[in-house]
Amino acid sequence: MQTIYTDLLVVGAGLAGERAAVEAADAGFSAICLSLVPARRSHSSAAQGGMQASLGNSVMGEGDCPDVHFADTVKGSDWGCDQEVARLFADAAPIEMRRLAHWGVPWNRVVPGKSIYFKGGKQFEKIEKEEKEGLIMARSFGGTAKWRTCYTSDGTGHAVMCTMDNRCAQMGVEVHDKTEAIALIHDGETCSGVVARCLRNGELRVYLAKAVMIASGGFGRIYPNTTNAVICDGGAHAMCVETGLVPMGNMEAVQFHPTGIVPTDILVTEGCRGDGGTLLDVNEKRFMDIYEPDKAELASRDVVSRWMTHHMREGHGVKSPYGEHLWLDIRHLGEEHITGKLREVYEICTSFLGVNPVHQLIPVRPTQHYSMGGVRTNKDGAAYGLKGLFSAGEAACWDMHGFNRLGGNSLAETVVAGGIVGRKIAEYLEGCETIFQTALISDAVKHQQARIDALVKCTNGSENVYKVRAAMQDALNKWANIFRTQEGLEKCVASLQDTLVRARNVGLRSDGKGVNPELAAALKLEGQVKLALMVAYGALTRTESRGSHNREDFPARNDRDWLTRTLAYWKSADDTLPTLEYEPATAVVEIPPGDRGYGKSEIISADDKKE
Amino acid sequence: MSISYAPAGRTGKWDGAMDWVQMLSGAGLILFMWCHMILVSSVVISPAVMDAIAEFFEATGMAQVGGPLVFLLFLTHFVLAARKIPFGFDGQKTIWQHARMLRHGDTWLWVVQAVSAMIILIMGSIHMWVVLTDLPITAIKSAERIQSGFWAVFYLILLPLVEVHVGIGLYRIAVKWGFIKDKERARFKRGENILTLVFIGIGLITLIRFLFLSVN
Amino acid sequence: MSRLLKFNIFRYNPEDTLSSPHMEEFVLEETDAMTLFIALNRIREEQDPSLQFDFCCRAGICGSCGMVINGRPGLACHTKTKDLPGEITLLPLPVFKLVGDLSVDTGSWFREMYTKTESWIHTDKEFDADALEERMDNKVAVGIYELERCVECGCCISACGTARLREDFLGAAALNRVARFLIDPRDQRTDSDYYEIIGNDMGIFGCMGLLACEDVCPKHLPLQNQLGFLRRKMGITSLKRIFRK
Ligand SMILES: Cc1cc2nc3c(=O)[nH]c(=O)nc-3n(C[C@H](O)[C@H](O)[C@H](O)COP(=O)(O)OP(=O)(O)OC[C@H]3O[C@@H](n4cnc5c(N)ncnc54)[C@H](O)[C@@H]3O)c2cc1C
Ligand code: HEM
Ligand code: HEM
Ligand code: SF4
Ligand code: F3S
Ligand code: FES
Repeated sequence: MQTIYTDLLVVGAGLAGERAAVEAADAGFSAICLSLVPARRSHSSAAQGGMQASLGNSVMGEGDCPDVHFADTVKGSDWGCDQEVARLFADAAPIEMRRLAHWGVPWNRVVPGKSIYFKGGKQFEKIEKEEKEGLIMARSFGGTAKWRTCYTSDGTGHAVMCTMDNRCAQMGVEVHDKTEAIALIHDGETCSGVVARCLRNGELRVYLAKAVMIASGGFGRIYPNTTNAVICDGGAHAMCVETGLVPMGNMEAVQFHPTGIVPTDILVTEGCRGDGGTLLDVNEKRFMDIYEPDKAELASRDVVSRWMTHHMREGHGVKSPYGEHLWLDIRHLGEEHITGKLREVYEICTSFLGVNPVHQLIPVRPTQHYSMGGVRTNKDGAAYGLKGLFSAGEAACWDMHGFNRLGGNSLAETVVAGGIVGRKIAEYLEGCETIFQTALISDAVKHQQARIDALVKCTNGSENVYKVRAAMQDALNKWANIFRTQEGLEKCVASLQDTLVRARNVGLRSDGKGVNPELAAALKLEGQVKLALMVAYGALTRTESRGSHNREDFPARNDRDWLTRTLAYWKSADDTLPTLEYEPATAVVEIPPGDRGYGKSEIISADDKKE
Repeated sequence: MSISYAPAGRTGKWDGAMDWVQMLSGAGLILFMWCHMILVSSVVISPAVMDAIAEFFEATGMAQVGGPLVFLLFLTHFVLAARKIPFGFDGQKTIWQHARMLRHGDTWLWVVQAVSAMIILIMGSIHMWVVLTDLPITAIKSAERIQSGFWAVFYLILLPLVEVHVGIGLYRIAVKWGFIKDKERARFKRGENILTLVFIGIGLITLIRFLFLSVN
Repeated sequence: MSRLLKFNIFRYNPEDTLSSPHMEEFVLEETDAMTLFIALNRIREEQDPSLQFDFCCRAGICGSCGMVINGRPGLACHTKTKDLPGEITLLPLPVFKLVGDLSVDTGSWFREMYTKTESWIHTDKEFDADALEERMDNKVAVGIYELERCVECGCCISACGTARLREDFLGAAALNRVARFLIDPRDQRTDSDYYEIIGNDMGIFGCMGLLACEDVCPKHLPLQNQLGFLRRKMGITSLKRIFRK
């Protein structure tokens, strides 16, 4: 058994993980990132649109500052976020963008002079200032007061990911790709490493570390239709849930993106709408300007997705063999713009749909996109429940997004949080002494080996991994989607409990030798169903609508009873439901709950005291 | 995986120079072949013209000195270019299998270039030896040789091989050194192919002319 | 009427002593808008759960799914079956180490490449958190991004005859990487520094201009132009270096 020791072990080599590792390496500690895929293939690289930071270099961003960014973020979260964290984030974001520029990100820059832009399908003109020439440019994104989204054409995530990975190579941060963490090693108090499975040869390996960080991204793949990569499967979350000690925060807060293409669910960037793209219905008529006269297509994602679903329910959807959808229209932006700034969009449409967006409409529908929930941490990124365990990025519920994250805020979060948490980890490592208990380690390995053997030998049954997984996805899709009801969620929970039993009886059909993809899927299945249950049960219990969580039977945002964060635990291995606890959404209140300015909805104020 | 390029301390001080020489020797040979064609094909206009040109080279001493120099260039080019040709069995297997799998025009062109090169090496050397040991060059002597039959067949093989090798060589120099950009590549390649065909045509006409030139 | 697609897929599991390299046939009914991503996953879920292949983003942006599709290296996720004949042959990318079936280890290869090309900005400037960012012309930024678009799929390496003949050849992706830093004003390396890295037969002078790299690159990087640019630049540098001494 190979055992590898390092100061900091990061599960995940996306932006958040690598950023934190660089910070630890800067402070003189050794750091290793594990990843299912080579670092640059991490899902961060799929983010096209950009990252929010209030640099205010564009004329359209004039007067922008961290305060405005902070306010947008809090409103965006529907007051579900931790305001102290949102403040940390907004203040640090501009510095972090500049740091990235220093490290090599080729941000698009301000070009002084006249240029045209589109809003709501109409053409406008702006004049960029001479004195800002060559500074980092920004574009418009949903839910923001200013143009604040820094970008590199439409491959922002890719470009930043390249730079970050280069930085890791430079700093000697190792990335062990094709390595999957499958269990945490802990003694009930402190986390001291992970058991991992090598995806080059299928062997188990032990990583020991003074600090372990979860930066494994989202878990969208528990839904059937998602913009997420196939590796965003929640395996690392499942590993934390399995401890029984580490809670997941706000799992019911799942974001649906308005523009996933039909049928492949690939995302086309928010930049399409930011640059002036419009949404059309079956009659090729705009509708967002009717529902949201002010922001129209540029209202926050939850709002747009909801109105789209609503509009389709009203019978205005376009029927297709893959279900109903709507149209995204970017034709008026012109060929140069589409094949230039929106090139990736152009390529996606032509190569996956056979649609040329310069002349044709793009079929879109709301699609699972982002997990606001995740490993609950404090503002330093330290996970609840276990010492020495940290988390950041989409994997974490650090919680600056609350119940809805703004476009461009999560990519920015990865580097900002990665930096902040990385520094905190370095501080933690500074004063940290660890003794590794060999018995603990070998028990952990034996336990995982036993699980593998049972799956290979079909000791517990011979349920088909893929069928059970499909059952889980189906339940979430049907009942824990954009609109939710008591009845639906009850069915969802019941169905998932049934699936959980099946997941425990899975057996392989293949021989399980070597890397074996079926085994990899089977190992995390039970954990995934538990995550699904946390989503569904959390949604069932939360009797209000907030951000992306929409209860049709409780349409109001209820600040009186639900200004809280859900903490979901799986306390005992044979439980059939998660245990839910709650904590106040935020300790510090800079902006008291109020109206978001978009997405008309009722609010039950915190002041309406219960009789 | 084991890549171990540029191991510490190994700078390719001469690799750049050798690449220059490889290219320049190739370019030089191309220029030579064009001049060579003017000389030889002038027979089509009239044997007298060819004799006149040949005499000019003879009188100025360019044939006596130039001939061996061309031979040297020819060898230099061979030695440098042959560095890139796989002579081992494994290498041969790999490149043929690769070209067949890929079905990619430019990769095949390289294979053609390398194969033609080997034949040119042998036939070109023989040819040069024969011509240069039998100076002066005259249209009549050439015609005699060609009418012997053996040399006609010899040139019928060598001619297309040389022209193809030269054509590909020119194209390759242009793309390798970026004189031709990606957008112009397809057009340049077409032009180059046409040029090659034209040259082969001229060469054939020349051969025919030699065949029917009355020796007496 | 939909076609029945016949897939000939390379199979070999190096971790299984009983396994030997061979081709295996699978038959699948074609559906609308089917891509190789959909097809391979269906084969795995319905016919052989041990089949190994790599996908990640399934949107043509991460570079995971490079494989040889009917003879040509390409990204499987953005290959539509309707653009292919009824018989489809899939092989793993050559040059890279085989993990199993269609899956290869590009990660190690590229990581080593970063180290060898020192794929990062070399500068002695310190980052100043309080200062404005250094200005850059937008055209320069766009030019750098153009080269940064490489997704490291490895197709250009597998398609390159030179790379197949010589293990030590850097390949187009690596040379393109060097070009990316060469045009970046933030990187203080000199031409002579770059010559140390690529000014040899394992680097730019090894390239024989086969241009398969240019023709297969799924991201359409301007590889031909970059290779030409580097050859000229390094060619001139080599003369300078010789004559300066
Ligand atoms: C299509 C798309 C477009 C987006 N566009 C934008 C945008 O324009 N702006 C924006 O702000 N946000 C955007 N987002 C969201 C944003 O990209 C992500 O939230 C963010 O990149 C997540 O980064 P991360 O570092 O947390 O995780 P990731 O980049 O997802 O990295 C996760 C890492 O964890 C590894 N990993 C996972 N599980 C394991 C395991 N068990 N063992 C070992 N390693 C593991 C993976 O291999 C990977 O390296 C977009 C998201 C999607 C899906
Ligand atoms: C001894 C016989 C010859 C051999 C073995 C030979 C071999 C080769 C090879 C292998 C190449 C490819 C080199 C590369 O891609 O890097 C090449 C290129 C070339 N050859 Fe030849 N060749 C021979 C004769 C000739 C002759 C007689 C000419 C011209 C009349 C010629 C002109 C060229 C040119 C122009 C190139 C391109 C040069 C470059 O790519 O740098 N070759 N040759
Ligand atoms: C200095 C060197 C050379 C001299 C003086 C020379 C001279 C000649 C002469 C006189 C002929 C007419 C036929 C004959 O007399 O047999 C001829 C033909 C020919 N030579 Fe050369 N040659 C030289 C080098 C080369 C080289 C290097 C090549 C190519 C590798 C070459 C290829 C040919 C071919 C293909 C023909 C037939 C021409 C045709 O049909 O048009 N020669 N050469
Ligand atoms: S240059 Fe193109 S083919 Fe080569 S690795 Fe990059 S994206 Fe792939
Ligand atoms: S295919 Fe290979 S030889 Fe050069 S032009 Fe491309 S790197
Ligand atoms: S899976 Fe990402 S490019 Fe194909």
